[in-house]
Amino acid sequence: MSRDIFIVSNSVDELGGVTTWSHQMARLFTDRGHRVHIVGIAPVAEEIRQKLPADLPYGMTTLYVTHPPKARRLHGIKGRLNAPERRRQAARRAQMRAKAEQLSELFRAAGPGAVVIVTQVWAMEWVALADTKGLSVIGMSHESFEASQKSTRGDRVRRWYPEVDRLLVLTPEDADLWIRAGMENVDSMPNPLPFMPDSPAPRTAKVVASVGRLAFEKGVDLLLDAWADAAPRHPDWTLRIYGAGVEEAGLRAHCTSLGLDDSVEWMGSTDDVLGALSGASVFAQASRAEGFPITLLEAMAAGLPAAAFDCAPGVREIVRHGEDGLLARLGNTMELAGHLDTLMSDAATRDRLGDEAFRSVRRYSSAEITDRWEKLFDFLER
Amino acid sequence: MPDVSVVVIVYNDAERLPTAVRSVLDQTLRGVEVVIVDDCSKDRSYEVAQELEAANPGRVRAFRLPENSGGCGAPRNHGIKQATGTYVMFLDSDDVLERNACRNMLAAAERTGSDLVSGMCVRVHLDNRWGKTTEWYPWIYARTRTLESITEYPDLLVYDTLSTNKCYRRSFLLEQGLEFPVGIHYEDLLFSAQAYVAARRITLIPNHVYYWNVVEKAAAKSISNRRHEIANFVHRMEIHRRVDELLAAKGHTAIKTAKDAKFLKHDLVLHLRDLPLLSDAYRQEFARLANGYLAGIDPEAYEHVTHLQAICAYLLGKEDWKNLLAAADAMTNKGRLSSPLAERDGRIYWCAGHLDDAEGRRILDVTDQGFHTTPLPSLILGNRLTSYEDDGRGKVTLSGAVVNPLGRIAEDAELSATLEFRARRQIGVRSFSFPVATVRHAGDTIEWSATADVGGTVRPLGIIDAVWDVRLKLKAGGDRMTTRVSVGGVDLESAARLRVRPRLTRLVSDRFEPEMTKKGNLSYVLTAEGPAAVRTQSLISSAMHGKAAGVVKRSLRRALKARRNIGSGEQKVKVYHEVFSKLPVKKGTVVFESHMGKQYSDSPKAIYEELVRQNAPFEAIWSYAGAKPTGFPEGATLVKRWSWQYLRALAQAEYWVDNQGFPLALAKRPGTTYIQTWHGSALKRMGFHEPRTKAQGKPAQDRFQAAVNRFDHFLIRSEHDVRTLAKGFRLRDEVLLRTGYPRNDALVEAHRAEADSGERVRGPLAAELGIDPDKRVLLYAPTFRANADGAVEGFEFPFDVEEFADRLGDRVTLLVRTHYLNSVSLPPSVAGRVIDVSRHHDITPLLALADGLITDYSSVMFDYAVLDRPMIFFAYDYEKYATDIRGTYFDLLDKAPGPVVATADELMQAVAAFDEADAKYAEARRRFLAEFGEYDRGDAARQIVEKFFTRSGK
Repeated sequence: MSRDIFIVSNSVDELGGVTTWSHQMARLFTDRGHRVHIVGIAPVAEEIRQKLPADLPYGMTTLYVTHPPKARRLHGIKGRLNAPERRRQAARRAQMRAKAEQLSELFRAAGPGAVVIVTQVWAMEWVALADTKGLSVIGMSHESFEASQKSTRGDRVRRWYPEVDRLLVLTPEDADLWIRAGMENVDSMPNPLPFMPDSPAPRTAKVVASVGRLAFEKGVDLLLDAWADAAPRHPDWTLRIYGAGVEEAGLRAHCTSLGLDDSVEWMGSTDDVLGALSGASVFAQASRAEGFPITLLEAMAAGLPAAAFDCAPGVREIVRHGEDGLLARLGNTMELAGHLDTLMSDAATRDRLGDEAFRSVRRYSSAEITDRWEKLFDFLER
Repeated sequence: MPDVSVVVIVYNDAERLPTAVRSVLDQTLRGVEVVIVDDCSKDRSYEVAQELEAANPGRVRAFRLPENSGGCGAPRNHGIKQATGTYVMFLDSDDVLERNACRNMLAAAERTGSDLVSGMCVRVHLDNRWGKTTEWYPWIYARTRTLESITEYPDLLVYDTLSTNKCYRRSFLLEQGLEFPVGIHYEDLLFSAQAYVAARRITLIPNHVYYWNVVEKAAAKSISNRRHEIANFVHRMEIHRRVDELLAAKGHTAIKTAKDAKFLKHDLVLHLRDLPLLSDAYRQEFARLANGYLAGIDPEAYEHVTHLQAICAYLLGKEDWKNLLAAADAMTNKGRLSSPLAERDGRIYWCAGHLDDAEGRRILDVTDQGFHTTPLPSLILGNRLTSYEDDGRGKVTLSGAVVNPLGRIAEDAELSATLEFRARRQIGVRSFSFPVATVRHAGDTIEWSATADVGGTVRPLGIIDAVWDVRLKLKAGGDRMTTRVSVGGVDLESAARLRVRPRLTRLVSDRFEPEMTKKGNLSYVLTAEGPAAVRTQSLISSAMHGKAAGVVKRSLRRALKARRNIGSGEQKVKVYHEVFSKLPVKKGTVVFESHMGKQYSDSPKAIYEELVRQNAPFEAIWSYAGAKPTGFPEGATLVKRWSWQYLRALAQAEYWVDNQGFPLALAKRPGTTYIQTWHGSALKRMGFHEPRTKAQGKPAQDRFQAAVNRFDHFLIRSEHDVRTLAKGFRLRDEVLLRTGYPRNDALVEAHRAEADSGERVRGPLAAELGIDPDKRVLLYAPTFRANADGAVEGFEFPFDVEEFADRLGDRVTLLVRTHYLNSVSLPPSVAGRVIDVSRHHDITPLLALADGLITDYSSVMFDYAVLDRPMIFFAYDYEKYATDIRGTYFDLLDKAPGPVVATADELMQAVAAFDEADAKYAEARRRFLAEFGEYDRGDAARQIVEKFFTRSGK
């Protein structure tokens, strides 16, 4: 059955994972014959805008011309007396109703079986005001339960999503956590693979690759600690660190203080992730926090065995320890070093895990994931 | 065909039936049907069911059994026959389904292909003013889980015996011929067990699916209806037998064992609680039924229950009512010691009886509980009411007996007591005390008797403080103990309700009714008897559910929270920073603390004593933790850790001296100098080198760094410390003081004296401990162990201490000192041969006394090296300790200056061959000291004092 599918996000082109995901899914749904419409609530500033191709095969709408003012709750007497702010907030609410009406019009024009996918909880505030009668509404949270709890999104998900037909999170484990936190409409849906090479990397170069922003939560400092433990036993191996970021200077200094300058190469950021991965034999990830790490998926798709910290449900969902990669307890750099040591010393294990990763990661292929979405649309009509 | 049929059974419940049915029709899953089965009600239930059918054609069908079956089995069986859905669920007419229940169950069933999906049941306490709900066995439903067979998770069958929180594939029920038993109570137990065993796949989901409405007050039972329970117990035993037969037929022995353990833990307890109130005839009948069943229990099940649960089962088997009732009291009141205990052959037993029986000795042995060594005030003693009399108005005379375990309350201890009435909710009026006229020794108990004019004295507020507990405060010599009064077999039902005058007048409530709490203790509840009070009570209880009551309840909660907050850490930290830290620094004041106030010891003590010796002009303030400081110096001002005085002292101090860390939340002002002495060189990774710290987020790491940055000076003993501790805490080099540890000055001195004189002199400590001068003294000082989260595990001997005493006790006195985070209790059998020295504040004199050291990974090894005496390393879990959780800075096996042993037997052999080892490791010990203690030269305290505290040094 061909459906009208609305993907509603904070914006249509903000640089980041959600935008990449929305346009990937929009293309996949379009390929299956669905009519897709991507809706953004507000435009974003030039410097964080993602460049989109000109000829998108689906519709795209942004509700606001400029970003709406920040919502503020006015408490107590002081709040009551703050007349200008009260006027601003009243105007904001009026404008929200108008924009929601614009959404309602789009929804009303849809055929039977239409679906609204709300990718971010902020956008839900507009969808909640709109008329969604006869449509299935699916809310999404594109981060781990723990990450939500550490920000205001934890409370906002609880406030805005309890009435949606299904709330989708990244992994079954995150779904369980949300259920235990009192949400009863939760299910999970993984992200699809961005690419799928025909064959695994040759794994001949004595190179361990790491790909990611050089930011604290990506734990490159911990990767260097682990490397300092593992590298002395493997003088012919190199650690290539792809990525750039605010922590670069500090990390380079840390690298030097550990005496690792000879075995670590700082590669900067790259557009050709697959190329970078193909030139390595092992993938390392020492993140302190992750959602559903796409670079880990990419490394496995390239056929590399990964050594990673088991820092989030998304990681243990993707990697099965000992079968298609090796996981270490978060922060235990000795254990991560041990895994790197294993993968560097033992070519047979490296190949076995890498080949298995290449095979098993296909459960996230775009075809599989699109099937799961279509099954969900059917289920919600029962 | 609908996806799910929900079978709703009803009996005489016309009023609530529509709500139950509505909860099905309002499901988010649309493909559901309702099958109502009326068990031939006498009220309008069936008519209501038919009306619901008429109003919801195609979605609701109503059926009626031709005659009443008296249970839930028959109507549910009929429902299964009538259902048409792919899946079947059961709902009782007084309960409701969660709105998403059917969708979540269906999704799980279709995803996994399970025959049976089970979700969490929630009990809704309808008569609770605060809308309380409790989840039913939440640990079973902590996460989504699919079982290929019930054998993967026996606890599911054993604990969740409900049939209603589940979704069954209808074809599965039909193929397996699964039906509820009819004509017996507890039909759910058998049905669910059959379903679990038959299911080829079972999925558990953490969702709430079923709201079980309960009214607790209706369940409060009088003695007379407790007697009917023997009939229920007969049914219960019969159902258990049938489930056991089922398990036996399928060969599920592991499930049987788990079920037996639950029987000991739960089912038995449920019934034991009532025993004190029941007649001998009942007890005998109960024992006959229970013991018949207990005889078939797998002995292995006893391994999975607490010592008290095993004791209860054993004593029930012996029909030893006196000791059983005491044990049951202890089991329902966790931590209570309700038996006088008995010592026999160096072991401690729950009671003196049954010790000629080997099994009795095994089960009744409670030596490991440490009742014989725990300080008296820390024991919670059982106190049984022996008589209750009143004058029918407001005066009561209570008598009782407090247990005197092992005669630890000495014959000559002076006794006194007060009886306290205490509001359970502590608002406004809190407690009233009455003198206890008689308190005296009587064999293995302390008997007491008090007459209290409750009506004339106790003035409750009237509304909020409805429940008052009765406690006896006993003073024996210098020890104070507080006990709750357990009702035991005393009959309270014929007792009068006492007249009271609440502060909010008698219009609110006018009677004080003695009551036995759920745990069997005496309390009083405010009730209404006069017509005015009765009217007010009903007004109040209806008002409690109104909108206005919501406001009152919320503000009450806020008020309670605010009161709790006044003394909270958060508030104190705020006052510390915003008030105390603005006061001027008091020149010459020094705040000392050792191990977070737990001890007067270590380098802070050594510095303090050096200051006193040099007569330096300063004011010392020592911090202590716990209720009362014992063993702290008299010349210093003592402040309790985290008290207001403590915070003020820290805020205004010129110096902070401590060995571990003043509270991390407290900033140090620039005018204060912080001398961090630290408490040992490092084997295991520290600070930022610990995996736990590495895993932390940025804010937590920044907080830790800020706390460590407070150190102005940090004492080190060697360059090893520079490479490890200093780096682990990211300390700047100018912070490091290469003085060695002040605490080790005494050891350097002792070593020098011994080398000079050629003989080792045992000081007064040896005599104090009663050590035989002819025996060698060994100190066993293991470190603590923690799991990956940093939680400290309890101490257990890694070797049999009684065997140690038997094999080596004629040559060796073993001193045992646990880490200060741990404690230990030794059996009386080893007295004189093994001595617990854990409560000594300072370890240094113990090190000086010991002829040899046994440790594992404690930093005490680095200090003891100063003495150049033999060491044995009992590293039974080195692999795990070193590599698994935390990691070490060097390999102990490489550098240990003594034999490293892994098993208890090797340890005892090494102790036996002590002298040989001594000489063999002399060179290794010298290397070890050179590497880890090069700056310990015996003058550390003097250097510190001269540098900071005497004018000459400044």
